[in-house]
Amino acid sequence: MNLTPESKVLVQGITESPASTRAALMMKAYGTNVVAGVSPGRGGLEVEGIPVFDLVEQAVAAVGHVDTAVIFVDAYSVLDAALEAIAGGIRQIAIVTGGVPPLDMVRLVRKAEASETLVIGPNSPGIIVPDKLLLGTHPKEFYTPGPVGVISRSSTLTYEVALELTEAGLGQSMAVCIGCDAIVGSSFMQWLQILDEDDSTEAMVLVGEVDGWSEQAAASYIAEAIDKPVVAYLAGRYAPKGPSLGHAGILISSRAAAQKAFGVTTPNKMAAFEEAGIPVATRPSEVPKLLKKLLKKN
Amino acid sequence: MDLLEYQAKSLFRQMAIPILPSQRIDNLADLKGLKIPYPVVLKSQVRAGGRGRAGGIKFVENTIDAVAAAQTIFNLPIEDEYPQVLLAEAKYNADQELYLAVLLDPVARRPVLLGSRQGGMDVEGSIEQMQQVAVDQEFSPFYARRLTLKMGLQGDLIQSVSTIVEKMYRLFVEKDLDLVEINPLGISPRGEVMALDGKVTANDDALGRHPDLAALSEKRLLGGLARERRSPHAPSDRLNSNSKVQHSPRPEFDPKSQSPISNSESLQLIELDGNIGILCNGVGLTMATLDAVTHQGGKPANFVNMGSLERYDAANALRDRADLGLELVAQDKNVKVILVNILGSASKSEEIIAAVAGYLERKARANRHIQVVLRLVEIDADAVKKRLGQLPVQLASTLDEAAATSVSSAK
Repeated sequence: MNLTPESKVLVQGITESPASTRAALMMKAYGTNVVAGVSPGRGGLEVEGIPVFDLVEQAVAAVGHVDTAVIFVDAYSVLDAALEAIAGGIRQIAIVTGGVPPLDMVRLVRKAEASETLVIGPNSPGIIVPDKLLLGTHPKEFYTPGPVGVISRSSTLTYEVALELTEAGLGQSMAVCIGCDAIVGSSFMQWLQILDEDDSTEAMVLVGEVDGWSEQAAASYIAEAIDKPVVAYLAGRYAPKGPSLGHAGILISSRAAAQKAFGVTTPNKMAAFEEAGIPVATRPSEVPKLLKKLLKKN
Repeated sequence: MDLLEYQAKSLFRQMAIPILPSQRIDNLADLKGLKIPYPVVLKSQVRAGGRGRAGGIKFVENTIDAVAAAQTIFNLPIEDEYPQVLLAEAKYNADQELYLAVLLDPVARRPVLLGSRQGGMDVEGSIEQMQQVAVDQEFSPFYARRLTLKMGLQGDLIQSVSTIVEKMYRLFVEKDLDLVEINPLGISPRGEVMALDGKVTANDDALGRHPDLAALSEKRLLGGLARERRSPHAPSDRLNSNSKVQHSPRPEFDPKSQSPISNSESLQLIELDGNIGILCNGVGLTMATLDAVTHQGGKPANFVNMGSLERYDAANALRDRADLGLELVAQDKNVKVILVNILGSASKSEEIIAAVAGYLERKARANRHIQVVLRLVEIDADAVKKRLGQLPVQLASTLDEAAATSVSSAK
C-alpha cells in the first residue's frame, strides 16, 4: 500500500461533471500528486495542469506507474472504470460515485481479490491523511494530523466524528470511509488490520450503524486480531427500523434467511461489541472521551 | 423494490421455472372469465409476508364462492396494504415443500444460495434446517448441486431442484436482483417441481438498466396512491412502518443517458410522531442527529436526508433543495422546531444559510411561526447572526448543542 504524498494519483471521470473537476483540483491543492485524468473523448485536454487521457493505459504510458485511481464516472460505468484501472496496473482504487449496482461490485470484489487490489467505495468520500494526502472528497476543514485512525461506513458522519476529535485535541492519522453502498470494495476488517500495522496510528475509531451486519463482524474481529485500542460509535439507536434509512439492512428482506446466512444470532446488535469489550459511544461527542481513557491506559 | 407474486412469477416464466396456470384478477368481473378450472386458489397480491395466516389466500370451488372470497380479500389490508390485484391459480397437491433463495451476503460480498427441506409457512420456525452455499467464484451449476446435497435431497431431486436454483441464480444476475425466493417449491408425489409462491426484490440502483422492472415500479407508485386513499386508518405504528412519501417529481429516465437520475435525488420525507423536524445530509449523520435529539429527551417529527451535497452542482441548486427540504419538514403542523444539520465545506454552508433566511422570511409573511436551529461549523457566527437579523434562528456549533437547543425550544 502506498498512501504517501508522493504516490501518483489518477482521476477517472475528471471532466464528468463540474463537481468531479473541482474535486480533482481540491485533491491537487491539498498536496495530492494528481498526475493524470482520464475521460474518454477528452484526451489531449489539460485541466489546470493535469493532463487528460482517453484511456488509463495511455495515462500510465505517459506518466509511469500509477498508485491510486479515484473514480468519479457514473454509477453504471464504475465497474468498467475499475477494471480498466486494474488492467493498467493500478492497485489502489477509491470510488466516489454512489449507487453502483451490487452485482457489479460482486464482480469487482472478485477481481480485486485476485489481483490484490485495495478498493474503497462506492459512495465514499475516500481517504484523507490530514495535511498530506486527499483521495476523494473529504472536506479538509474538519481534519487535523494526529494519532487516531477513523474507519467509517458513512460520509458526513465521518466528518462529524473527525470534527469532535479535532476539537478535543485528538488529530487523525487517517480517515477512511469504506463506502455507503450496500456492497463495498473492502471490509472494516481489512482497514482495521491496515491501521493496526500503521506506525502513525495509536488508536482507532470505528464508525458504523447499529443495524449493520459488517459492524458486528468487525466487533468479533477486533477482539481476536487487533492490538491497538478501538472505540466504536454506532448511529441509529433510535432511528426508525426498516429500509427507510440505513445502508446495510436494505438487502435483507428475508430476516430469517439472513439470520442463518450471516450467523447473526442476537437481535441486540450492540451485544457483539459488549462481548468483544469494545467501548461504544452513544454520540459522536463521547468518542474523544472514551479514546482518551483508553490511550491513558496504554 | 419488492415485486408482487404475479410479477415475480412472470419473471419465473421467462426463465422456464415451472409455475401453475394462473390469471390476474383486477376486479370481481374478471372472475367470470376465469379460464382455470376449479378448484382455484385466490391470493392477495400484497408485499407483506404471512398472507395465508392473515386470510389473504382462499380456496374456492365455484364462481359464487370465488366472487365472495375475492370481495373479502380485496377489502382485507395486510400490514396496512390493500391488494390492487388478486392472483387466481390452479390448486396443486404438493407432497413436500422446499424453501429456496438467492441473495447477497453484504459481509462476504458474495451471492449466497439458501435452501431448506422445511419450506412453506414453517420456514422461519425451522431455521436450523436452512442450508447455505456461498458463490465465491464465477457461478457454475455445481454450486446449486452442492446446496441440494446439503439440504439432504436424494436421487432425481438433486438434479431437478438444482436446475431450479441455477435458473434462479441466472435471473438474479440478469436482472440485478437483491433477492429471488421460492417458498414453497412444491414437489408432487411423482417428483415434479413447481414454484408455488415467489418473492423477487429488484435492486433500486440498477433499475435504470432494466426498463421492464422500472415499468413495474411506475405501476406500483400509482397503485400506492390509490391505496393511500382507500386506507381507512393511518398505520398504527408509524415508527416501524416505512411510510415513505415522495413529494418531489418522481425519478425520470433520460433516454439519452444510461444511468437514471438517482432515487435519492428526489427528497424523501420520513414521518415519525414528535415535534422536531430534521434536515440533514447523509444517512449516518441523519441517524446520529435523530439519536442526539432522542437522547436529549426530544421527539423527532420527521426527517429529510438531503444526501450527498456533491451533486447540487448548478448555481443555487443546493439552496433550492434545502428550501424544498425545509418546506417538506414543516408541512406537519406539529413541527415547532426545525433542526438543520448539514455538514459540508464553508461554501455549502453559505447556501444553507441563504435557504434558511429565505424560508423564514417567507414564513414570517405567511404568519407561520416556526423556529430553526441551524448547526454551523467553522463559520463566523457574528456575521451570520447579523445577516439573519430578527429571524427566529438559533445557531449551534456542535451536534449536542443543536439537539439540546432544539429540544428546549420545542417544549
